[in-house]
Amino acid sequence: MVPTLGRTLILLALLAASAGSIVGFATGARPSAAGWKWARRLAYAFAAFMALANLTMEYALLTHDFSVSYVAHVGSRAVPTWVSIVSLWSSLEGSILFWGLVMGVYVSVATWRKAGDHPEYMPYAVGVWLACGAFFSFLLAGPAQPFATIPNPALDGPGPNPLLQNHYLMVIHPPFLYSGYVGMTIPFGLACAALLVGRLGNDFIRPLRNFLLVSWIFLTCAIVLGGWWAYEVLGWGGYWAWDPVENASFLPWLTATAALHSAMLVERKGVLKGWTVILVLATYLLTILGTFMTRSGVFNSVHSFTQSAIGPTILVFLAAALLFSLVLLALRVDSLGSEGRLETGPSRDVMFLVQNLLFVLFTFTVLLGTVFPLVVEALRGAQMSVGRPYFDKLSVPIGVALLFVMGVGPALPWGRATKQQLRAALLPPLLGACVLAAVGFALGVRNLWTILALLFGGFTAQVTLSEMFLPVRQRMRARGEGFAEAFRQAQTRGRRRFGAYIVHAGAVVVIAAIAVSSTMGSSKEVQLNQGETTTLGPYQLTFAGAEQLSEPHRQSVLARVDVSKNGRSLGTLLPRMSQYENQREPIGSPAVHTGLTEDLYLSIHNFDGPSVGLLVLINPMVSWIWIATAIMALGGLVALVPSLRGSTAAAPAAGTAAVALEGSS
Amino acid sequence: MATALTSASAPRVNRRVLVAGLAIALPLVAVLVANLGRDPHSVRSPLIGRPAPPFRLVPVGGGAPVALESLHGKPVVINFWATWCVPCFQEHAALVEAARSLPAVQFLGIVYEDDEAQTGEFLRQRGTAYASLMDKDGKTAIAYGVFGVPETFFIDPEGRIVEKHVGPLDRGAILSLVARARGGGR
Repeated sequence: MVPTLGRTLILLALLAASAGSIVGFATGARPSAAGWKWARRLAYAFAAFMALANLTMEYALLTHDFSVSYVAHVGSRAVPTWVSIVSLWSSLEGSILFWGLVMGVYVSVATWRKAGDHPEYMPYAVGVWLACGAFFSFLLAGPAQPFATIPNPALDGPGPNPLLQNHYLMVIHPPFLYSGYVGMTIPFGLACAALLVGRLGNDFIRPLRNFLLVSWIFLTCAIVLGGWWAYEVLGWGGYWAWDPVENASFLPWLTATAALHSAMLVERKGVLKGWTVILVLATYLLTILGTFMTRSGVFNSVHSFTQSAIGPTILVFLAAALLFSLVLLALRVDSLGSEGRLETGPSRDVMFLVQNLLFVLFTFTVLLGTVFPLVVEALRGAQMSVGRPYFDKLSVPIGVALLFVMGVGPALPWGRATKQQLRAALLPPLLGACVLAAVGFALGVRNLWTILALLFGGFTAQVTLSEMFLPVRQRMRARGEGFAEAFRQAQTRGRRRFGAYIVHAGAVVVIAAIAVSSTMGSSKEVQLNQGETTTLGPYQLTFAGAEQLSEPHRQSVLARVDVSKNGRSLGTLLPRMSQYENQREPIGSPAVHTGLTEDLYLSIHNFDGPSVGLLVLINPMVSWIWIATAIMALGGLVALVPSLRGSTAAAPAAGTAAVALEGSS
Repeated sequence: MATALTSASAPRVNRRVLVAGLAIALPLVAVLVANLGRDPHSVRSPLIGRPAPPFRLVPVGGGAPVALESLHGKPVVINFWATWCVPCFQEHAALVEAARSLPAVQFLGIVYEDDEAQTGEFLRQRGTAYASLMDKDGKTAIAYGVFGVPETFFIDPEGRIVEKHVGPLDRGAILSLVARARGGGR
């Protein structure tokens, strides 16, 4: 019964999406009110069927209906209810079903919000969205069927991958990632619509940028949540390993970040329209590449889903989307035109370009490192992994250069800067640069790149803060307002600008924290008998004994480790090894004592009779990565709010200095 | 792709965008197609069945250089590894244990793109049962066609490479691969 219902809903979603896509394109080509109405109805129908199919699957998971093939793969009576619920996205078929749900939500929200605006663009956009929706419905109807009927269902199932049952972050990381990934469909559809119409006006770049920003916020959080999950669960003490699947989420983030910046130049000066559209299209294509990477079994990664038949299908879709995008670009990119000219001298304009090129360079670097092993495999029949040295060597200079641009760009005025302006803009922040680098040096930083990161980080932090509060100071001076009033006024009037600088401030902290945590940590491995003590830095660790813990879905051995710092007790840390029902290998879970300046990280290697093998790490500043990401996401939200309300905080005329604008508004 | 920056007003096919796009897209798709359906763990090396490339390398922390020729007559297991490689520490204990339990087999580590002090520290902390050699200029890794770590070569008593394994080893895999190296291949 349930499998049949599920399959019917999927087929109806496929039908609605395909029909809606055709109607959308047809209405775009020959506008008609009836066509547009039907395109919208079919978009909502697609979303509704997908939502119902997801509800059906949740019902099957919660009632342990093992006649549904997906439940038979990942369900288990032994797991807690929350694990049953999140099992929806714990394996291949379910994750694509969930993907369909997220897509339905995005498509219906975007259709609903923009239904009355942009009549010439929107039918095309709906057509593109639903074409993508039709593809994912097709995957669910055939190659990745979650609702196949199991004729003689077993009484119990194996439960999801134990790594996924191990931590609450696994509940939130995938939904964020899918919201980031799938959300890129919306700007993709809007950019394709702009190409199909042959125009990208100021009115249309704004919704494009807003939807891009929404997905960007989700993707930013998802990438860092993934790193956080790896840090809290995988037990090797790091948060980023340049694993192909981590790269898969990072690649579209890079192009999306570049596009968010170039979209500002489109809005402000009417230039870089084609370039921005290319970046938006590339972002979507990279999300599909990432989907292929995680789900084809081609890449060797901790994240890979099991090998499956959907690899070729996704590849065909990727190739088709690539071809569609390229042909569309080649035919129409010139018709987008350009309304202004970019400055060439030292100016904020040029720094925007430099920033964009650095992001694209970063994208190619990561893409090359990710795909290169496959090239070698195809040409030479041998395998390799490029490994961290390649990525570290190349990404560190690019990251530091981006930090530099993030400082110098906003410090410079729009348009060509005079020598005095340059001096006035670039000299004062050197103070921040020297202060931060000196503080780092005093605290023992000796790594050249880390010092450079702190130097540019200090510069950028000072520029960011002074730019953030510049309108506030101007109001206080010009109108005699108090700080609170001036702040409120300035930030409601210039919320986009304010949000952007919050993001920058967060980014500075993230980069500095990464630089410090990756070069300033210390570690040690010890084998401790019960009662034995070891020290690392200011920490004393005493192995107080092992403890067995029995839960329905797992048996765990915990090591009780009493921790004190400089003689003051910090309590007991409990790293564990867990043996899950129906799984062969035990899974280790580290224990982390999180602090603002550093984390103490304990991970069990082995239990050898009465003694325990422990990996002990001191990871400085890691929590700042999580905190600063929250700041970045907050900044993104701040930048989003006024534009959602339709008020335009800052829509400056080309070439006007931002300063004058914000101050006089 | 900078062509988009200098756009003309007349709508026509922008060849530069098309050519640049195809130049990126076609090889990418071709590579992905070529790799469809492969098992990322399986290995084919052109070196299998060939004499193992000779080397003469100094162990980590100094000492007399070890030459491969001097080991002819017994099976040799050569493990390329590095301290920055996560799978390498997963397999380290299994390798050490195998080396202890198989005294007739010569185990050797060769350090791949890593720092000697760091490597020494790693070995001191984790213990070892065989020498790890510094491949300072990476020539030996190149001769063995090492693309990443860990990679492990199993060499028979006549000095021919019998098997190559990519990725971390466990005890079972070591024993079965060593058995093949003892038997002089399949």
